Amino acid sequence: MTMIRDSLETEVKRGGTRKIGLIVLAAGLCLGPLAALAATQIYDARTKKWVDYDKRKARQYFARNKQVPEAFRRQVVTFRTAEPPGTIIIDGNQHFLYLVQPGGQAIRYGIGVGREGFGWAGIVRVGRTAEWPTWTPPAEMVARDPNAAKWAAGMPGGPDNPLGARALYLYEGENDTIYRIHGTVEPWTIGLDVSSGCIRMNNDDIVDLHSRVEIGAKVIVLMQGAALYKGV
Amino acid sequence: MSTTKLNAYSIARCAFVVAGVSLLGGCQSSTPEPQNMARTSLQTAPADLQLICANAVVAQASGARVLPMSSRQLDATTYAVDVDAGGRKFNCVVDSSGSVKSVQPA
Repeated sequence: MTMIRDSLETEVKRGGTRKIGLIVLAAGLCLGPLAALAATQIYDARTKKWVDYDKRKARQYFARNKQVPEAFRRQVVTFRTAEPPGTIIIDGNQHFLYLVQPGGQAIRYGIGVGREGFGWAGIVRVGRTAEWPTWTPPAEMVARDPNAAKWAAGMPGGPDNPLGARALYLYEGENDTIYRIHGTVEPWTIGLDVSSGCIRMNNDDIVDLHSRVEIGAKVIVLMQGAALYKGV
Repeated sequence: MSTTKLNAYSIARCAFVVAGVSLLGGCQSSTPEPQNMARTSLQTAPADLQLICANAVVAQASGARVLPMSSRQLDATTYAVDVDAGGRKFNCVVDSSGSVKSVQPA
């Protein structure tokens, strides 16, 4: 959802009817459900059992620990691939984003992906990036939500901005897919199927990723059960 | 207590202790490492294994872009990965060490 709002801001300024139509379509994609294919579980070391990890439990966990479960924290892992260093690989089902490193390793970040319905998968690239991107709510949100209405002309980037600290704009060839990898103001949602087709990360993580990634970097999105494919 | 009964009691006690230790060991070995303490109920193959299968299909893909579409665990150490190569489907089997066991057209 948020990725659409960001695009909408740009498109409204341009005033292009066709582009607005594209944005509305994409808004449908983002607002629509994205693959509630499986429930997230975390291992409870105290009871030695796997337990469901939903939005309520995630919020409780974050409030108690001030961070997400260890599995979703940034870490270097073994990753055997022929893809060159700098490639981003997203495992939407398991809620991990990998940035390939030399020597058979990758930096693994926890991510949040879209909620129920249709997911997307494919091979795209980082077309551009932005620091503290502007967010503009879609018209329907402005109409129903007074808090969103005050940002109808665009919410400047900042710590309260839903897009978070950075955004990586994903392109298919020269075309904006309207999907983004961005930060979030809801860090407890990492590890969950949450709101849209966008990939969300904790702000610290998206800042770290942004500092390491090159424009043009290949992005491979794996999502079992995806209803939409890009670049393949 | 006779010597025979004492020996039988000692053996039974030892067997109980050994069994207990074995069970404890079994429980401990099933505890995942902290970085692995998250999963989804959908047990897909790890991303790197999916990509290893995709790479194994590339030679048969005639230049088409190759993408893993779905995967599943076959047993403790083996995964099946369904790969799309420009509309052509392939089935790949890979083990957890990254060794491709087979690639076949679907």
